[in-house]
Amino acid sequence: MNAWRQVALLAKREFTERVKSKPFLITMSILVVGILAVGPIVNLLSGDEDEATMIGLAGPEPPGIEQALQEQAGAFEMTIEIERLGDAASAEQALTDGVVAVALVDGTEIVFHTDVSSRLSTLVRGALTTAVKSATLTELGLSEAEVGAIFQPVPVEVVTLEVDDPEEEAKRVAAFAGTIVLYISILMFGQFVAMGTVEEKQNRVVEVILARVRPWQILVGKVIGIGLLGLLQLLVLAGAAYLSAQLAGLGADIDLASIGLPIIAGVVFWFILGYAFYAFLYAAVGSTVSRQEDLQGAMMLPIALILPGYFIALFAAENPDGVVPVIASMMPPWAPFVMPVRIADGAALPWEIAVAVIGTAAAVVALVWIGSRVYAGALLRTGGRIKIREAWRAAVD
Amino acid sequence: MLQLIDLKKRFGDVVALDGAGFTVDRGRILGFLGPNGAGKTTAMRVVFGLVRPDSGTVSWNGGTVGLQQRLRFGYMPEERGLYPKMKIRDQLIHLSRLSGMTKKEAGAAVDHWLGVLGLSDRGSAKLEDLSHGNQQRVQLAAALAPNPELLILDEPFAGLDPIGVAALSRTLRELALGGVTVVFSSHQLDLVEDVCEDVAIINEGRVVLSGSLEEIRNRSSKRRLTIDVDGQPWIPMGAADTVVDAQGRSHCIVEGDAPIANLLAQASAAGTVNTFMFEPPRLTDLFREAVES
Repeated sequence: MNAWRQVALLAKREFTERVKSKPFLITMSILVVGILAVGPIVNLLSGDEDEATMIGLAGPEPPGIEQALQEQAGAFEMTIEIERLGDAASAEQALTDGVVAVALVDGTEIVFHTDVSSRLSTLVRGALTTAVKSATLTELGLSEAEVGAIFQPVPVEVVTLEVDDPEEEAKRVAAFAGTIVLYISILMFGQFVAMGTVEEKQNRVVEVILARVRPWQILVGKVIGIGLLGLLQLLVLAGAAYLSAQLAGLGADIDLASIGLPIIAGVVFWFILGYAFYAFLYAAVGSTVSRQEDLQGAMMLPIALILPGYFIALFAAENPDGVVPVIASMMPPWAPFVMPVRIADGAALPWEIAVAVIGTAAAVVALVWIGSRVYAGALLRTGGRIKIREAWRAAVD
Repeated sequence: MLQLIDLKKRFGDVVALDGAGFTVDRGRILGFLGPNGAGKTTAMRVVFGLVRPDSGTVSWNGGTVGLQQRLRFGYMPEERGLYPKMKIRDQLIHLSRLSGMTKKEAGAAVDHWLGVLGLSDRGSAKLEDLSHGNQQRVQLAAALAPNPELLILDEPFAGLDPIGVAALSRTLRELALGGVTVVFSSHQLDLVEDVCEDVAIINEGRVVLSGSLEEIRNRSSKRRLTIDVDGQPWIPMGAADTVVDAQGRSHCIVEGDAPIANLLAQASAAGTVNTFMFEPPRLTDLFREAVES
């Protein structure tokens, strides 16, 4: 019997027993429904941005005004619709009711309800000028083509020094969401490992298992099984987030896949490293107590390490090149939280990323070793809480 | 053949094993006896590598015992425990596969033992929904299903009703006939006398008496004398450890070379002798002698 086949069996039990457990399914459903609901809500709140702006015309109108308005609107990159309003009184009514945003009355007055929009006012004034001047030039004997040529917009390119990229903003939001998801996932699944360890100790099944396998196999099997559960949850939530973004109508302006996939890949990658680091720590401290009631106190150690990582990550989003974020992004306990933020910002240097990844991976290997030994020394000891040092020594005895 | 040789283990200041050892041959049932805290559980845990002894060895069929050998051993710990929320068939299959069985073998073995133990219809029940006695049977199935060559059971009879005791005794004897070596600990000495061929008595970390039950009974220098005269207990001069039972007979332990003819004559002089038995000591006598001396 191969040791790794036993590990696979142990991991499989952890995964299958938990994936069908009610608490897991309920938590997952609530999260998915919550994420899916965000999309349509965002869509409702920002829904009328793309709608056409209504422009009213009242009284006698200059010839060709409608075409001139549409051309101007094209130059302004706006969509407009013309509403014929009859006389000045009905124009006032339409403005008051909000049916139109602006009205041109008798070809001489540009009327707003309360606030003057300089953009709309310029648009209407320009159209009016074009229409009136075109008519005058036609009267003077110019052909339609000649008039058209005069009012042909001068080709001029408008540029900005920095591109205002809607994808940039989306990336920042996604990276921020990724940091929170990463933090919650590591905390949640790390605690599952600690709780699972105590559970097996509390209901004494651990002695039955230990008669068949070594302590490190239980530990690694548990961490892998629960880790796979964590990955499954991450992917389901990412899928829900993608759907939700589509429902919010974000897919029209930006390429969701090209922004989302690197973020998801990053979260998955750092989850694996960060979860591995904390899961072995959680298992070691979990094995030192015998009852769930005593677990809270024992879990203070991993939590005291995770929390600063999370806060530094939030700080790094604002200040990716600060001394604290730079150093923390290369320290094993915090790299999984801080480094992805710095990478998303483009602030991390390749060697810094290499230090973070290799350092954390090396720390995981060390923790597997230390954790297994504490675990081995503590598993069959029941009663009060065992000191980690005591468990370490007991494993040698 | 299982051999425990000169096992020593200290936990801090407490000496749990102080040179303990015994041997059980293939297909034999050994009752492992001793007062509370004598080292029974520690010795059993050593066999499974759950406790590493300070010195001494365990051998199986003459070879050292490693992970692969242990997969052929079945173990029922004193502290019972399985997964409360897992379906019993699923967890028995899981444990059997951990012992190296294929999925198919495990399924067949688990179904067999669930049938033998009268739990066929409870396979998809969660452990926590079973009665205490049935949970105990599932625990036994966990030890038996991997089809072990050696079965080590820590207090398997504790908490069983008389029907359960009889069924487990029968099962153990059948397993032994099939070549399985069985070691179990118990405080119920009558039961051990009924079920076991061999015993090992441990006290303060040392095995103070071991061998086949018949042999150690005969080997003992003591004899049990049971007497009633006129329906009343009659106690000979100089007898130790006298007990009077519910039938009004006196039981005492005397030296094997006691003057039986004289004692019988004295008893006859006192009245009508209804009972006068001179026998090898019972297991409980041997146990007390071994542990108290």
